[in-house]
Amino acid sequence: MAAPPGEYFSVGSQVSCRTCQEQRLQGEVVAFDYQSKMLALKCPSSSGKPNHADILLINLQYVSEVEIINDRTETPPPLASLNVSKLASKARTEKEEKLSQAYAISAGVSLEGQQLFQTIHKTIKDCKWQEKNIVVMEEVVITPPYQVENCKGKEGSALSHVRKIVEKHFRDVESQKILQRSQAQQPQKEATLSS
Amino acid sequence: MRMVHILTSVVGSKCEVQVKNGGIYEGVFKTYSPKCDLVLDAAHEKSTESSSGPKREEIMESILFKCSDFVVVQFKDMDSSYARRVVPSETDAFTDSAISAKVNGEHKEKDLEPWDAGELTTSEELEALENDVSNGWDPNDMFRYNEENYGVVSTYDSSLSSYTVPLERDNSEEFLKREARANQLAEEIESSAQYKARVALENDDRSEEEKYTAVQRNSSEREGHSINTRENKYIPPGQRNREVISWGSGRQNSPRMGQPGSGSMPSRPTSHTSDFNPNSGSDQRVVNGVFILSFISFVLSGVPWPSPCPSPSSRPPSRYQSGPNSLPPRAATPTRPPSRPPSRPSRPPSHPSAHGSPAPVSTMPKRMSSEGPPRMSPKAQRHPRNHRVSAGRGSISSGLEFVSHTPPSEAAAPSAARTSPAGGTWSSVVSGVPRLSPKTHRPRSPRQNSIGNTPSGPVLASPQAGIIPTEAVAMPVPAASPTPASPASNRAVTPSVEAKDPRLQDQRQNSPAGNKENMKPNETSPSFSKAENKGISPIVSEHRKQIDDLKKFKNDFRLQPSSTSESMDQLLNKNREGEKSRDLIKDKIEPNAKDSFIENSSSNCTSGSSKPNSPSISPSILSNTEHKRGPEVTSQGVQTSSPGCKQDKDDKEEKKDAAEQVRKSTLNPNAKEFNPRSFSQPKPSTTPTSPRPQAQPSPSMVGHQQPTPVYTQPVCFAPNMMYPVPVSPGVQPLYPIPMTPMPVNQAKTYRAGKVPNIPQQRQDQHHQSTMMHPASAAGPPIVATPPAYSTQYVAYSPQQFPNQPLVQHVPHYQSQHPHVYSPVIQGNARMMAPPAHAQPGLVSSSATQYGAHEQTHAMYACPKLPYNKETSPSFYFAISTGSLAQQYAHPNATLHPHTPHPQPAATPTGQQQGQHGGSHPAPSPVQHHQHQAAQALHLASPQQQSAIYHAGLAPTPPSMTPASNTQSPQNSFPTAQQTVFTIHPSHVQPAYTNPPHMAHVPQAHVQSGVVPSHPTAHAPMMLMTTQPPGGPQAALAQSALQPIPVSTTAHFPYMTHPSVQAHHQQQL
Repeated sequence: MAAPPGEYFSVGSQVSCRTCQEQRLQGEVVAFDYQSKMLALKCPSSSGKPNHADILLINLQYVSEVEIINDRTETPPPLASLNVSKLASKARTEKEEKLSQAYAISAGVSLEGQQLFQTIHKTIKDCKWQEKNIVVMEEVVITPPYQVENCKGKEGSALSHVRKIVEKHFRDVESQKILQRSQAQQPQKEATLSS
Repeated sequence: MRMVHILTSVVGSKCEVQVKNGGIYEGVFKTYSPKCDLVLDAAHEKSTESSSGPKREEIMESILFKCSDFVVVQFKDMDSSYARRVVPSETDAFTDSAISAKVNGEHKEKDLEPWDAGELTTSEELEALENDVSNGWDPNDMFRYNEENYGVVSTYDSSLSSYTVPLERDNSEEFLKREARANQLAEEIESSAQYKARVALENDDRSEEEKYTAVQRNSSEREGHSINTRENKYIPPGQRNREVISWGSGRQNSPRMGQPGSGSMPSRPTSHTSDFNPNSGSDQRVVNGVFILSFISFVLSGVPWPSPCPSPSSRPPSRYQSGPNSLPPRAATPTRPPSRPPSRPSRPPSHPSAHGSPAPVSTMPKRMSSEGPPRMSPKAQRHPRNHRVSAGRGSISSGLEFVSHTPPSEAAAPSAARTSPAGGTWSSVVSGVPRLSPKTHRPRSPRQNSIGNTPSGPVLASPQAGIIPTEAVAMPVPAASPTPASPASNRAVTPSVEAKDPRLQDQRQNSPAGNKENMKPNETSPSFSKAENKGISPIVSEHRKQIDDLKKFKNDFRLQPSSTSESMDQLLNKNREGEKSRDLIKDKIEPNAKDSFIENSSSNCTSGSSKPNSPSISPSILSNTEHKRGPEVTSQGVQTSSPGCKQDKDDKEEKKDAAEQVRKSTLNPNAKEFNPRSFSQPKPSTTPTSPRPQAQPSPSMVGHQQPTPVYTQPVCFAPNMMYPVPVSPGVQPLYPIPMTPMPVNQAKTYRAGKVPNIPQQRQDQHHQSTMMHPASAAGPPIVATPPAYSTQYVAYSPQQFPNQPLVQHVPHYQSQHPHVYSPVIQGNARMMAPPAHAQPGLVSSSATQYGAHEQTHAMYACPKLPYNKETSPSFYFAISTGSLAQQYAHPNATLHPHTPHPQPAATPTGQQQGQHGGSHPAPSPVQHHQHQAAQALHLASPQQQSAIYHAGLAPTPPSMTPASNTQSPQNSFPTAQQTVFTIHPSHVQPAYTNPPHMAHVPQAHVQSGVVPSHPTAHAPMMLMTTQPPGGPQAALAQSALQPIPVSTTAHFPYMTHPSVQAHHQQQL
C-alpha cells in the first residue's frame, strides 16, 4: 500500500468491501479516520447526476473483505475551503423541505401533488399546503389533481405565472419519464422541452 | 482531516443511515462529532413499502447515531463544488475583495510562486509590451478585425467632415490677421497663472497620498504646531484645544479660545519667543504653549502686558526661551528642544524672570511676566495649558483656563517674588491650564493673572527679547521632551501660579521685600543676570514699584485673599466667582501684578541667579516657589530649600508668613546658586532626554511666573479657593500652582535640606505660595473650566484620573498635611502631593533646582491611588520644564472629592517613566533635575505617584524632604517631573501634541470640578491641594507645604514606598 505512514488507505484509491449486510460497496477513498474506523468512499451519484456524487461512510467494524482495487500514489488534491454557513443553510432548508413534504404526505396528498409542490416551492418560496390545496402567494390555489386548469385565483400575473410553472412541471415530469424509457430519445425530448 | 472535510461538505445533504440491524434511516445530515457520531435532522425510518415520503408523525426532529451503531451511511448527491468557497483566484483573482478575501478570510498564506520570465526573448517581448504606447487596440486594427470577421465596414472618417468644416488656409491678409490674433490669445491664455495652475494640476505627479493624505513632517513642525495649523496642516485635537485655550485665556474667558492663541503662539514658539521677546509674555507663552499663559496673563493682567513686559521680558525671554524650548519639544517642535540646550543657560534665568515678569507684566511684571510667560508658555503653557485648560474647562470651562492663565502669570509673579519656581509652576500651570485656565482664569484671577502675566510676559519678552526667546525656546524644548511633563508643568505651573498668587499675595504683602531681595539676588546672579538682568535692570525700578504695590497688595491681599479664597473656591466651582475674583484681582491685580511681577522678576532673578541661571532653574524656582517658595530657594541652594519648605508650611499655615516667605524669597539668592547647578546638571541630564523635561520645568517655571500675576489676581481670588480649584487639572494648575509651585521650590529645598530645608523652602514657598494662592485663586477659575478639561483629560487617559484624584486629594492633604505637601512640593513642587498625605502628596517640582528647572515639568501626580479617599490628594504635578518639575498636585479637593484619584494612573505613568521613581528615591534635587531634564519624570505613572503620595506623602515628605532637599528634592523632582511627565505626556503633550494630556487635565478638572488650576501648575496644584485645608491663604501655605511633600513625597510616595526609592535610584 502506498498509504502514507499512519494511514491505511491512500486518498484516491479504489476500494471495495462487503458489509455485514452482505452489501457490496465500492468507491474511491475520500477519507479514512483510524480512530473511528470510518472510511469514506465516493461513488457515482445514485441519481445519475453528472456533477454529483454519493458519499459512503463505512464503518469498517462491520465490514469485511476490504480490498484495494487500485492504489493511488499521487498526492491528493488540497482540500477546498468550505462555506459552512452555506452548508448550514442547506441543511436547514432541506429539513424544512422534508418536513413540509411530510406534512403533505400526512395530509394524503398525492405524489404528483407533492412533486408539484416541490417544484413550485423551488421557484416561489411563498407557498404552503392548505389541506390538499397548494396555496401560492396567497393568491393562487391549486387543487387536486393539480393540473394547469386547477390553478385558480385572481386573474393576473401571479396566476399566469403559476400556471406556467405547473405547466412546465408536468412537461418535465413527462419528459423525465420518457427519458427513463428510452435514453436515446432523451436528448431530443430535452431539446424540445427546453425549447 | 479529510474525514472532517468530507463530512462537513456533505452537511445538509440527504443521507441514509443503515444501522446494524439492517434498518435504514433517512434524514438530513446535520452534524457529526469527532467520534463520528452522526446527527440526522428530520429523520425517519425508511420502509421498503412506501415509496412515498414519510408522514409527518414519522419524522423525528433529529436522531443521533453512535458511530458504533451504523454500518454504512450514504450521502446522496453531494455536490463537491456546492460548498466550496468561491476562490477569488478562480473568478476574479485581482480585485481587492478577492485578494483580501484570500488573506483575511482564511488564515492561510499565499503560496508565492517565482515568476519565470523564461528566455531573454520573452523579456524582450515584455519590454515591448512595456514600451507599447498604444493603449489597447489600434482603431485601424479594430476596423480591420471587424471587417474580416464580421464583414462590417466602418464609415469612420478621420476628417470628421460630418461634424466640422476643415480650415481653409489662405494667405489673405484677413486670415493672417485672424491667425495672429488667435496665436496671441493662445499665448495670453497659456501664460496666465491660472492656466499654469490648472495645467499643473493635471500634470501634478504627486500622488493623492502625497497631496492629501500623507503626513508631512517638516522640521518646522516642532517649532509650532500652531504654525502648522496656520499652514492648514493637521492639528491634533489636543493642540487645537490648546491653541484655543491659549486664545481663550488670552481672550480671557473662553479657554477654548486659547486654541487660536495657542495655535498662533505654538507655531511661533521658538521663533516667536525670540521674536516675541518684546511681546515676550504672549510670545513666550505661545512658544511654550505659553499661549495660555499669555492669554491668561492677558486675561489677568489684560492691559499690563506692554509695560511689564519690557523689563520682565528680558528675563522672561530667557526663561521663555528655555521654557518654550522645553515645551516646544514636548509639544511638538523639535526645534524648541534643541534650542533649549543652548538657550537654557541664559534662558533659564530669563525664563524665571520672564515668568515672573509675566505675572508682573501688568505693571511690574514686565520682568516677571517675561519670565513667567516664558516658563509658563514654553513648558506648561502649551501642553500644560491645554491640559489645564481642558481640566479647567472640565470643572469650570472658563475658570480653568483662567486658572491656567493666571497660574502662569501668578507663577511668574510668584517666581519673581518667591523665585522663579513659582513662576515656572505658574507658567506650567498656565500652559497646562490654558484651556482650563481660560475658563478659570477668566472667571477669576486667571484673567488677572493672565493679564498681569501676559502683559509682563510679552513685555518682558520684548526687552529680553534676545535672551528671552532663547530661554523660552530652551524652556519649550524641555517641555517638549517632557511633553507630558510640560502639561504637568503647566498644571504645576497653574497650581504654582495659584500658589504663587496666594504666595504672591503673601509676597506682596510680605514678599515685596522678599521679592526685592529675590530680585536682587537674581540680579546678582550671573547666569540670571544676563537674561534676567536685562529684564531686571529695567524692571528693577518697576519691581520696586511693584514691590510697593505688592506690599499694598499684601494688605489688600489678605483682605482679598480671604474673600478671594472664597471667591476662588466659588470660582473653582463656578466661573462667576472666578470672574469676581478677576475683577477683584484686576482691581488689585494690576498693583499686585506689578508687585508680583516685580517679585517674580526678583524671584526670577534670584531663582535665575540661584537656581536658574537658566530657565530651567527659574522654572524650577518658579515651580518651587509655587509649590513651595522654598523649592526655588532650594534650587538656589538646597540649603535654602529646607527653609523654603518650612516656609511653605508656614505659608500653608498662613499667608501671614508671607513676610517670612519674602525672606525665603530672599533665599532666592541661594536659589541662584541652585540655578547654576541645576542648569548645569539639568542640562547634562536634561540634554539627552532631560531637555524636554527641563523644558517642562521651565514651562512650569513660566507657570510660576505667571502665577505671580496670579498672585496679584490671587488676591482677588481667594487663594484658598483657588487652591482647591486648582487641583482640578485644568484649573488646578492655576490654583494649585500657587501651592504647588511653592512646594516645588520647597521641594528642592526639601530634598536638599529635607525637613530643615523644607521649612525654608516653605517659607519661600509660602511667599510664593501666598503668591500662588492668588494664582491658585486664579486657578480656581480655571478650575471652573476644568470640567471641560477634565472631561477632555479623562477622555485622554487614565492618568488624568490620577491627577484629578490628586487634586481632590490635594485639598485634603493640604488641609491635613499641608506641610508635608509643601515639603514634597519643594522636593518636586511639580509633583503633586497626594491628597491623602495631602501635604506629601503634593509633589513640588524641584526640577527648578535642577537644570530641570527649565524643564519645569508640570508633574501631575495624582495621588489618587494612595489617597483612595477623596482626601487623597490628586496631585497634578506639573513640573515646569525649567527643571522645576513643577508638579502640580491637583488637589481636586474642592472639585474632587473624587476619590477617583485612581487617575493616579497619570502619576503612575509618571512613575512608569521610571526616572521619576528613580529620581524620587534620590532626593537630590539636582539629580532630579537632571532626571527631569533628561526626561519628564512626569511620565511616572500617576498611580505610582499617587502611591508615593499616599505612602510618602505625609510621612515621606518630611523624611523625604530632608533628603530631598539635596537629593530628594531633585529626586522628587525627577519623580515629580516624571509624574508630571506622565501627566504631561498625556496632558501637556496632548495640549501640544497629545490630546491625551489635555484629556487628563480635563479629567482632573472634572474630577476636581472647580479646581482648574491643578494642571497648570503642578506646584500650584499641589498648593491647591494643600491649600484647601488651610483656606486660601492657609491653603497656599499648605499647598506650598503639600506641594513640597508632593515633590518629595510624590517621588517618594511612589518610591516611598519602595518603588519610589527605586525610582530615585533609577533616575540617579
